[in-house]
Amino acid sequence: MAKELKFRNPSFSERIKGMLGVDFYRLFHTPMFYIFLVIAAIIPAMVSAMTMMPGPDGSAATPLYSSVWQIIAATEPLYVIRSIADYANMNMVFIFGGIMVSIFIGHDYKSGYVKQLFTTHAKKQDYMISKSITCAFAMACMCITYLVGGTIGGLLVGYSLEVNVGSLIFAIFGKIIMSLGWASFYTFLNIIFRRYFGISIASSFFFGTGILIIGLAAIVENLSIPTWFLNIFLYGSSVNACLVSNVGTLIICAVVSVAWAFFYNVLGTRILSKSDVY
Amino acid sequence: MEKTINRKSVEKMNAIEIKNLSKSFRGMYAVDHLNMTVPVGAIYGFIGENGSGKSTTEKLICGHLVPDQGEIKLFGKDYTDPGVRVRVGALIENAGCFPNSSVYQNLRMQTINLGLQNPNEEIDRVLKIVRMEDSANIKFKSCSLGMKQRIGIAMALLGDPALLILDEPINGLDTDGMSIMREILVDITKNYGCTVLISSHILGELEKIATHYGIIRQGKMIMELSAEEMDSRAQVFVSLKTKDMHGAKAVLAAKFADVREEDGYIRVYDVDDTAAIVHHLMKNGHVVSEIKKNKIGLEEYYIELMSAKEEK
Repeated sequence: MAKELKFRNPSFSERIKGMLGVDFYRLFHTPMFYIFLVIAAIIPAMVSAMTMMPGPDGSAATPLYSSVWQIIAATEPLYVIRSIADYANMNMVFIFGGIMVSIFIGHDYKSGYVKQLFTTHAKKQDYMISKSITCAFAMACMCITYLVGGTIGGLLVGYSLEVNVGSLIFAIFGKIIMSLGWASFYTFLNIIFRRYFGISIASSFFFGTGILIIGLAAIVENLSIPTWFLNIFLYGSSVNACLVSNVGTLIICAVVSVAWAFFYNVLGTRILSKSDVY
Repeated sequence: MEKTINRKSVEKMNAIEIKNLSKSFRGMYAVDHLNMTVPVGAIYGFIGENGSGKSTTEKLICGHLVPDQGEIKLFGKDYTDPGVRVRVGALIENAGCFPNSSVYQNLRMQTINLGLQNPNEEIDRVLKIVRMEDSANIKFKSCSLGMKQRIGIAMALLGDPALLILDEPINGLDTDGMSIMREILVDITKNYGCTVLISSHILGELEKIATHYGIIRQGKMIMELSAEEMDSRAQVFVSLKTKDMHGAKAVLAAKFADVREEDGYIRVYDVDDTAAIVHHLMKNGHVVSEIKKNKIGLEEYYIELMSAKEEK
């Protein structure tokens, strides 16, 4: 039966709206997102409790932090880690977030739903952009539950509340803004390892720890080279958002996050366009 | 901007037009300089052995794989055109649903993906077509294979697709499931004007619905023909039984060109006049105990074609 055929080219915003709609629907309708929100809240509370635990010989606890807010951000940009206290702050969200992104994207491939998406979306950039934004939103939510968990945990163990409020706000917003760059990076990693679910989770965890930048920072410090250039990296900028942050820190976070998000989106789109999608 | 292709053009147009398409994996051609034409409104039966390149071709059309070379046009436009691709529905390998989500949730996601205005009405519509109105709240992982295949069809039907690409949709279905699937496919082409590209190993089922055929072997299209052409090429024969099979065969062989004894029957090929055969046998003292008119089906035709290719 012949009938009139109508082909209407969907605009860029219509395409993105469709893809984003699916991703947010999935995010809110699967338990995984809520589980990660809870994890993000529990971890800092546990860290706070552990920092106040007495030694194995019953000796008095030596608090690792002096204020509640050090659970949220370090007192200064500590690129080189000397103790767990230097490391255990909101940046850990980007490790859990990486694992969440891997599971989120991995399920697209494992279920075969990715075939529906790529059949109806000829432009591969739709997929990259949508996943980056959705996962950035999820990570930003995790930053908030981390903040709540960390604050409650810190208060319960009796840390001080003293802080420069402005710097704290800049640090929190700086880290939340970094979610976009991290989410794009993890989306890119998961595109590279799309056929290997286990490897994509492992790689997200590995890179999320910032171990490469920590190693680079150690070398740089030993060579007495200024460390400010480390801020061009996602981990560097995330560390830079600390309790001495100012508006400049926030701008650096925004520029670095957006620049890496753009870079990984372009690269991921190119890879998806030039290679088989599964 | 909306582009409308009018009725006259539609009648002349091809839903799929593939020229010189190739795809290789590790130096081996899965699709080898393939040409293919699927007219608008056709149910195109895509036939081939395992590994002949059917699924690869379908994945190439859907944009899941990147071709090494060649041209794919859908409704006269490049296959990467977003306006055309949004009107393509596919069921390739599996339904592509999230196992822990309900049937409704999976369909809902696809309505959001396609930006459909009335999602619930649309979901009801496709569930009705696949006869699963009461199964919307079942988790996908709890569905039977037949149900999963029908949900896959329902997913593909969302948003009024102009082209449906179905890879082995009747695989693993029982007789009832096959019959339902057949009715669904005929219904959507007749009532929704959809073009269907369907691959299947169950040629007997395909024969009941296909309007066109494409036969692929080792990545190459070896033949494309319409159901009418297939009909005209299919050999007609009369099969019969008598008490003295050997004697009757000799009598018939003296009058008819192609007489064979196969499967316990005497077969007289390229003849459909049963009365003439009975009359000839009776005249020579043979009583016919059983006689029927037959036609070589798609399956036999395909096997013969493949054997001929292998001999070459």
